[in-house]
Amino acid sequence: MSYALAGVMGYFLAGAGGLLWPRAQRWLSALALLGGLGALLAWAPHFPPTPVGGGSWGITLAGDQLALGFWALTLLFHGMALGEEWRRSGPFLALMTLLLGTCLALPLSQDLFNLFVCLELTSLLSFLLVGYESKPAAIWASLKYLILTTVGMILYLVGVGLVYGELGTLSLAELRGGTWQWNGSLAVGVGLLAAGAATKGGVFLFAFWLPPAHGRAPHTISALLSGLVVKMGLITLVRLAAVFPLSGVLVGLGVVTGVGGLIYALWERDLKLFLAYHTMSQLGYMLLGFGAGALLGGTAYALAHGLFKALLFVAAGKAIAAGGSRRIDELSGRLSLSTSLALGLGTAAIVGLPPLAGFAAKGILGGSLPGWGKWTLFGLGVGTAASFAKLIPLLVPGPPGRAWRGEWPLALGLLAAGGWGLSHVPSLLSPVAWGQALGVVALGGGFYLGLRRFHPPLPRWTLDRACLAILMGGLAISLGLLFA
Amino acid sequence: MEGQVATFLASALLVLGLGTLLSRRNLIWKLLGLNVASGGAALFLVALGHRPQARPPILGWGPGPAADPLPQALVLTAIVIHFATLALSLVYVIFLTEHRHTQDVPKLEREEGG
Repeated sequence: MSYALAGVMGYFLAGAGGLLWPRAQRWLSALALLGGLGALLAWAPHFPPTPVGGGSWGITLAGDQLALGFWALTLLFHGMALGEEWRRSGPFLALMTLLLGTCLALPLSQDLFNLFVCLELTSLLSFLLVGYESKPAAIWASLKYLILTTVGMILYLVGVGLVYGELGTLSLAELRGGTWQWNGSLAVGVGLLAAGAATKGGVFLFAFWLPPAHGRAPHTISALLSGLVVKMGLITLVRLAAVFPLSGVLVGLGVVTGVGGLIYALWERDLKLFLAYHTMSQLGYMLLGFGAGALLGGTAYALAHGLFKALLFVAAGKAIAAGGSRRIDELSGRLSLSTSLALGLGTAAIVGLPPLAGFAAKGILGGSLPGWGKWTLFGLGVGTAASFAKLIPLLVPGPPGRAWRGEWPLALGLLAAGGWGLSHVPSLLSPVAWGQALGVVALGGGFYLGLRRFHPPLPRWTLDRACLAILMGGLAISLGLLFA
Repeated sequence: MEGQVATFLASALLVLGLGTLLSRRNLIWKLLGLNVASGGAALFLVALGHRPQARPPILGWGPGPAADPLPQALVLTAIVIHFATLALSLVYVIFLTEHRHTQDVPKLEREEGG
């Protein structure tokens, strides 16, 4: 575990050093990546699932499957983002290094307050990075993000107080082992904790900051936020659910965010906002998995989603830069071959076409869910395919552009290769599974043709409504836990 | 007794702050409300550490029960984070005022989209 801590410290030192000495930031960041890889290799083979440290200080850490998966994802993202942004000026890379370091620290945390500090750190650094290019729309999105997550974190802090007042400890590991009584004020406290984590974790009704913030950020940052940072709230929910009886809440939030995000994505015309709504919807799959106790399935889906969503966002950024518009219908025929190909592969992965990573992860997740969970996955899959059918015109490349450059070739390779490897899990190799995946996509395409003419007026979520939704949602979860 | 008064005050601050956040149109007012509410959350944590007739939890401050130091340590961290968040958000408000010449939230929302 001390290796893991050294890796995290390396990131923070490299980030701080990069802020002080901007000319060295890219090399410091690369050095931190190497250190992180070394740390992962050193602690992963014998990671301690039992918490270390802590005691009266209340700080507990533990490495487990979830932490392992997210370390791998974070380091991978770091490598890809460094390649993409190597020439960016200003403190961009230093801030990114700090953000990634926080994403390494959070999955290790096993106590309420460390989780709080890490969540707040990711928020603060994300605010800076979303508004990095100083465009008014991005600054406004960032400010909205800031206000809404602060509301969520206030609920979380009050929840910490209630739980600490009842149980006298902040360490989740200690609570898991010990005996304690579930009572009213504990229920309210846990409900508020869950509401705060859901606000950070991009759950529909709690996180209306997500579409503008992820949609307006620089494209590498959109990829990082959607693929990695938003899942920090999810990890917090999983840690809470490991101790408190939250599995019903997680499943409920999963269905709400899966369906809610999807409905908005179906009729969204702005390419990056469309992908951002899909992030909300995809988080539903992971919440379903975690709520049903499928830790491995949820983690696998989180990793696969990180890969294909990063690819989609980076390709979308290039498409918008090349096509000169953000609207999906205006972009067709203006993209270069490599951008079209990247968008196409990302789309194929997110709708679950075999043998890509999305198919494999969906299979692993579905295999560990009970019957109703499989049907929910099926419904969400059809909806996802229906909404991604909009992107089909973009797959026709326009005039030949510049040569193949960037497009995160690593993510592409992993999507294909990793998915291919995982698809050889015996249960996924059957023609039935492949046929089902193709059937879902075909059904989704049919739905798209039917839905195209129909434009329901969806409510707009202004800042006030979004704040109110967080407060009401927190109240609802608390009351639900109280009377459950 | 003092603990209860502090808890009551904390709840009042929370309600006041969140109410301001929801009811005002101006960004500065909204941020003020948010800050008052986070002050309420901080006070709530401090109130938890209260023991009857407790002293501040500082070494060498004489005999008798000391207040629980853990919530106070937490609150210190939370205050620092809230300070950083508020400072950053005010910088963003200045930026928006310079570029959009308004601090009115509904107006900004119409201009920038949801």
